Amino acid sequence: MNDYIIMADAGCDLSAEFQEKYDVKVINGHLVLPGKGDVPSFMKWEDTTLEQFYADLKKNPSDYATAPPNTTEYENFFEPFVKEGKAIICVTISSTMSGSFDFATAARKNILAKYPDAKIELIDSMRFGPGFGLMVVHASILRSQGKSFEEVSQYLVKNRNRFHQAGWLDDLSFVAKKGRLTHSKAFFGTLAGIKPIGEFDSGGMTTVLGKAKGAKAAYAVLLKYIEATIENPEEQYIFIAQSSRYPQAEAYKKMLEEKFSPKGVFIIDVFPFCGINVGPGLMAAYYMGKPISDDLSTERELIERFIAESK
Amino acid sequence: MSTRRINGIHLEKMVKNGLAVLQRHEDEVNRLNVFPVPDGDTGTNMVLTLGNGIRYAKSSEDAGAYLRSLSDGMLLGARGNSGVILSQFFKGFAVELTRSPLIGPGELRNGLIRGYRCAYDAVVHPVEGTILSVAREGIEHIRTQITRNSSIESILSMYIAEMRKTLSFTPEMLSVLKEAGVVDSGAYGFILIFEGMLKCLYGEVIDPKELPLPQTQPPVDLSLFNENSEFSDGYCTEFILQRLVNSKYRQDFNKDDFIAELRFYGNSIAVVVDGTRVKVHIHTLYPAKVIAFAQQYGEFLTFKMDNMQVQHNERDLIVEKKQEHKPLAVIAVVNGEGLHTLFSNLGCDIVIDGGTTMNTSSAEFVEAFSQVDADAIVVLPNNPNIILAANQAVELSKRKNVTVIESRSVAQGYFAMAMDIPDSDDTAFRISQMQSGIADIATISQTVASRDYSFHEISCRKGDEIALLDSEIVSVGYDYAKTILDTMAVIEDIDDKETCVLFRGIGVPEEREQELYELLSAKYPMMDFEFIDGKQEIYHWIIGIT
Repeated sequence: MNDYIIMADAGCDLSAEFQEKYDVKVINGHLVLPGKGDVPSFMKWEDTTLEQFYADLKKNPSDYATAPPNTTEYENFFEPFVKEGKAIICVTISSTMSGSFDFATAARKNILAKYPDAKIELIDSMRFGPGFGLMVVHASILRSQGKSFEEVSQYLVKNRNRFHQAGWLDDLSFVAKKGRLTHSKAFFGTLAGIKPIGEFDSGGMTTVLGKAKGAKAAYAVLLKYIEATIENPEEQYIFIAQSSRYPQAEAYKKMLEEKFSPKGVFIIDVFPFCGINVGPGLMAAYYMGKPISDDLSTERELIERFIAESK
Repeated sequence: MSTRRINGIHLEKMVKNGLAVLQRHEDEVNRLNVFPVPDGDTGTNMVLTLGNGIRYAKSSEDAGAYLRSLSDGMLLGARGNSGVILSQFFKGFAVELTRSPLIGPGELRNGLIRGYRCAYDAVVHPVEGTILSVAREGIEHIRTQITRNSSIESILSMYIAEMRKTLSFTPEMLSVLKEAGVVDSGAYGFILIFEGMLKCLYGEVIDPKELPLPQTQPPVDLSLFNENSEFSDGYCTEFILQRLVNSKYRQDFNKDDFIAELRFYGNSIAVVVDGTRVKVHIHTLYPAKVIAFAQQYGEFLTFKMDNMQVQHNERDLIVEKKQEHKPLAVIAVVNGEGLHTLFSNLGCDIVIDGGTTMNTSSAEFVEAFSQVDADAIVVLPNNPNIILAANQAVELSKRKNVTVIESRSVAQGYFAMAMDIPDSDDTAFRISQMQSGIADIATISQTVASRDYSFHEISCRKGDEIALLDSEIVSVGYDYAKTILDTMAVIEDIDDKETCVLFRGIGVPEEREQELYELLSAKYPMMDFEFIDGKQEIYHWIIGIT
């Protein structure tokens, strides 16, 4: 009954350990790295460390690029499972940021032409990185609780806008350059000491809702924000993404554990597939909570209030 | 000789003479600057403020009318704190005498009283031992002695004598002066103006020096005048003519006749005679005729001619540019190319070049307000000596939508800009974000002393490395880095600080960034450091810590 595959593209930032624990299959995307050309994306630091990778990236961002798995790669990934008669729930990184969902859609069409009985459900996560990864983990947990293919698929579509991001991205230059930030007029660079606080908008892009001066002020605002938006924290796993912000993530983890006593808080590395587009400076928690308003007006109001209170 | 009443023409001559005397002593007043950093000199600021008033004022026999236009010009041209206070004094003077075509002893007394009161009102925290004190005591000590029969000369003589007395006490009133062994520069400048006015009554008239241009002209876009343009504005023509004794040249020079002749060729005529030199300003459609006429008397030392149509068209262009409407516009004052670019990139709509020793005038702010089309305007003066002028500009412009965020350094201004959320529709929230940006920022400024200085335990010689915390010198030495480290150590909650932004001044080698980074990060390992090539003048380093 629940013998179906849950898969995700490399945008989910789930390390090998998580993939194994939650039985999530991950399809690699492509990375262009300086001196190495096109290589498959990876979720394990082998030739370099996270810190080194982001330091190098910051120096020459234009030497790096990413590409989603193409249609043929998706077909090749789907086919063995289809042949085995397994249904597939395939979750992709937000279609506003990547062509992954489109390629998967084309691949699904080709597979269905070949195997008319194949069962492939494509879900656009509307998220990226650990926020997307957390959604996939939720799906896996539901599967292990005996929820059916249909139930899990519906759950994801219904609840994807309840996955929050509460954190900062203190170097906006990367997201701005790669078009992964909702913006029109913001200045894109590192603003020393300033922590732009961002939440996912309906398309999964990060929107800056406020700014705090200094990490301490930012943490205070974020904790209040999570408190106001999270639901049943004690039943949740919270992910913290970090791209070259490990000490800050660790401090955040402690605060979250103390304040919300969740089932677990995990610091998740942002791997190159997302990291090349996000750049260094991401430090954000992901959790499930109240649905995010379409225009972020509710969330904006909260952040503005908490920032005002912190002054 | 005794004068019982003066009219607007007398007064104009007196004020001009006041300016001339102040100009003679401008350097001397500047040297009284107790601070070893040449930033916003008092003498220069006062000369520019009064000079702008004189340039703007319309000659009139009616003393009240003359004073009104003089004070309007001064309010606009006010630079620096001393300039603002001076302009406010003249405003009070003008308000009191606005209906007085003639000034007699009673009017003069009332004007001098109203003047100092107005000046006090303009300052949030009046400081004694400054212009305010001399202007107040000068008149308060003599007001009862003024009678209907007092001559203007005797009143001014007494007034000046009392002010001089107070001036000699300013070091007792203000400890910085005492430590530095000087009297207050602004107060001294103020007295000089009145001495010049009195001297005029005694016939000691001095020709004023050429005034520096109020602001540097922006580069002119020549493409604005092309084959399709119409020409009706003429040329702004300025020259200094050296009269020559050689018999080839006419020797019958007479200023009045000279001006009368120039009137045939154009308007906006100004002629200043300094010995055998004649400085001329005229707007004319026929510069060749002006040149031919003037050349009968001598040869040109300098010559400048601008096509006013280009400038006119440029103004039209600015008006057109203005059409882009914004909910919130930001005007910032900075010095240095790097900072200029940075503030533009951060989203400032107008970045005013703060110059080095020349503080931004109220007029420059008013001009900037008119160039933006926005529902609300935020001003970042980024200098304690410019805040008053910015506030005065808001008052003069009668705009209700301008907020002066009282940033006292570019570091504070930087954090204000960094905290803005340009994407937000909530202007009040954006302004409060920016306002919060300047809170809790310690600013360290590091440079080399421009003069010997002594205050409390701190003393330095010209050429020493010095570092200031906010506006106070904290460290003196031979090693720039050590002065910075020592000053940082003085910041009360330095261990709670998270971020340090360092703006590198013009001419400071780039390698020093690494050098400084290593020293600072060794001492404050938890702090984030950001280096910005500010290219500012005067200060080698401006450092914001929060």
